[in-house]
Amino acid sequence: MLRQLTALLLLTLSVGCSQPPDQQGDAQPAAALQEGIVYTVNYPLAFFAEYLGQGGLRVELPVPAEEDPAYWQPQPEIVLGYQQADLILLNGPGYAWVNRVSLPANTQVDTSTAYTGHFIELDTGPVHSHGPEGDHSHGEIAFTTWLDMSLASLQAAAVAQALQKLMVDPQELEQRLAALQSELSSIDAALIEAGQILDNAPVLFSHPVYQYLSDRYGLNGQALHWEPEIYPDEADWNALDKILSEHPATIMLWEDQPIPEIESELRKRGIVVVVFKPLGRRPDSGDFLAVMETNVQLLSAAVTAM
Amino acid sequence: MRGVFYLAWRYLTWHRFKTSVLVGAISLVLFLPSGLQLLINRTAEDMTARAIATPLLLGSRGSPVELALNSLYFSEDYPSQLDYLELDRLNETGLVDAIPLYIRYRARGHAIVGTSLDYFTFRGLEIADGRPLVELGEAVLGGAVAQELGLSVGDSVISSPETLFDLAGVYPLKMTIVGVLATSHSNDDQAIFVDLKTAWIINGLGHGHQDLNKTAAANVVLTTSDEQVVANASLVNYNEITSDNRDSFHFHGDLSDYPLTAVLPIAVDRKSATLLQGRYLDHPTLQLIEPVKVMDELLATVFAVQRYVLFAIAMVAAATAAVVVLVFMLSLRLRRGELLTMTRLGGARWAITSLIAAEIIIVLIMAATVAALLNLALVLWGDTLLNSLVLRS
Repeated sequence: MLRQLTALLLLTLSVGCSQPPDQQGDAQPAAALQEGIVYTVNYPLAFFAEYLGQGGLRVELPVPAEEDPAYWQPQPEIVLGYQQADLILLNGPGYAWVNRVSLPANTQVDTSTAYTGHFIELDTGPVHSHGPEGDHSHGEIAFTTWLDMSLASLQAAAVAQALQKLMVDPQELEQRLAALQSELSSIDAALIEAGQILDNAPVLFSHPVYQYLSDRYGLNGQALHWEPEIYPDEADWNALDKILSEHPATIMLWEDQPIPEIESELRKRGIVVVVFKPLGRRPDSGDFLAVMETNVQLLSAAVTAM
Repeated sequence: MRGVFYLAWRYLTWHRFKTSVLVGAISLVLFLPSGLQLLINRTAEDMTARAIATPLLLGSRGSPVELALNSLYFSEDYPSQLDYLELDRLNETGLVDAIPLYIRYRARGHAIVGTSLDYFTFRGLEIADGRPLVELGEAVLGGAVAQELGLSVGDSVISSPETLFDLAGVYPLKMTIVGVLATSHSNDDQAIFVDLKTAWIINGLGHGHQDLNKTAAANVVLTTSDEQVVANASLVNYNEITSDNRDSFHFHGDLSDYPLTAVLPIAVDRKSATLLQGRYLDHPTLQLIEPVKVMDELLATVFAVQRYVLFAIAMVAAATAAVVVLVFMLSLRLRRGELLTMTRLGGARWAITSLIAAEIIIVLIMAATVAALLNLALVLWGDTLLNSLVLRS
């Protein structure tokens, strides 16, 4: 009995003198992901990431084909996909949905920080405030910055810098960026030439998405709100005629090929249709560079024929 | 010698009530100081664990204790606010990833923590039910909050007004619960998490209302011009964010000027943390604190009372020892006849002394065993006891 008591005592004392439990360790952030998943908000960013990543990344642009990325409102399931990304490439201006959802801050990259001074504010009507002393709401800023090839080049550089976080080979990345910027520079030169040929001649835009194109390449443009697949009504044609009386444009840039009836009616007014795709969404065929080159060729052909 | 212990054991088991009382009293006296020390150490560890897991905290210059208590333990008193711009500046240093905190409002007694998704990753918080925050106006509950309030995914929670009679104040915001966190045995279990922008909407810095450029209702417009429409106070703000009105929500002014109560800088390495501390050492308006140092100082003050408790226990121990000695002495006096009988039976003096000593030793061993078992129980289940008693408060 005594031996048993002694053994029990020794056992309990040894357990009672055991080390206290480990302290609650630091809640370390999740380890950096190696899969390289990049989510983007528009096609130019997706293209830049794909071009610079060269297959080493999974680049996602989950906007449905029929939606305009700038005005898209993703469903919660889609936003959850953005939350899981290693990198979220943001355009900067536009894409208001980004400010209405929860995204991890440390994976977001605003690719426009190098050229915020070049933003173009839109005339969307009066802003508002609450009370005479209150701060006012903000006007909108044009978002098609990539139509200015110099800004597109800066945006590509920002994408390249962001991709370094995903441990893409820095030397290869630098080479690809140089190649991409060289291509953008060629397009830039061609557009500058087209703008010089135009020499401030009035042009029309089917939609107000060519602000940066106008600004960079000196296009004297006025924008309408026409859709390529919808024949304008009489009031629209009258409004166009009124514009033409003061702004006698002979070229009209369209986001997509308008229906033949529209083109025919424009031709009667001496206006040539030039399809210049803004490329906010992924094209049906080709890539950013190929489609931009086509845009440039069509525009150059039209201005040369003037 | 075995015979002596056998006789002593038999005597003690025969007088089991007296033995039990003696063992109980002595074991309590032995257990209380060590148990109290263990409990206090464990409490301090749990309270400082959160501070240890948060190496740095940036806030407006003022009380470091208030900053630490509000940011780590979600106390009601919140520190002076700093601008969101300071978070951008921190990120621009490249030394840290900064997490915003805006902990000012409450809902049904629980703190509403306005932050970013990075907070959940940093604290290792997992979703037990539902999903993470996605849209404005959504909330994720700590596990204890959901249990206490009987809420689950799909229910709503409404923010409490800061003052009861604030006629010019902001309407409470009704938030949809989209997720419930798994228990983390920390203060996060007691909080309601929202996106930082949702917290700003509770503040009134962001809101949704009818489009003033389109409304024909003259009674909500104070003045109008080509550049600006000024609304009057009769314009009603939405107090719930739904799929129908979400697009109307907006913020006035510059987001860089918007308030935070603190910023959690997560340094990329120790060198970065040191560099950052150097930069904010003499900052005129901001302070960068090490929460563990602040909590150590606070706990040192709070647990100074431990010395008084230990002194009281020592007094009780002395009194108990005196009573135990008295019990043994009285017991010997009562057993005088028994001891005389042993002597007459041939028991040597040393044998009888050994017998008495054996009884005392056995009692002490049993008391020590009980005290050790109680300590063991505290080691094994002390966390559960603390979590249910201390962390709930």
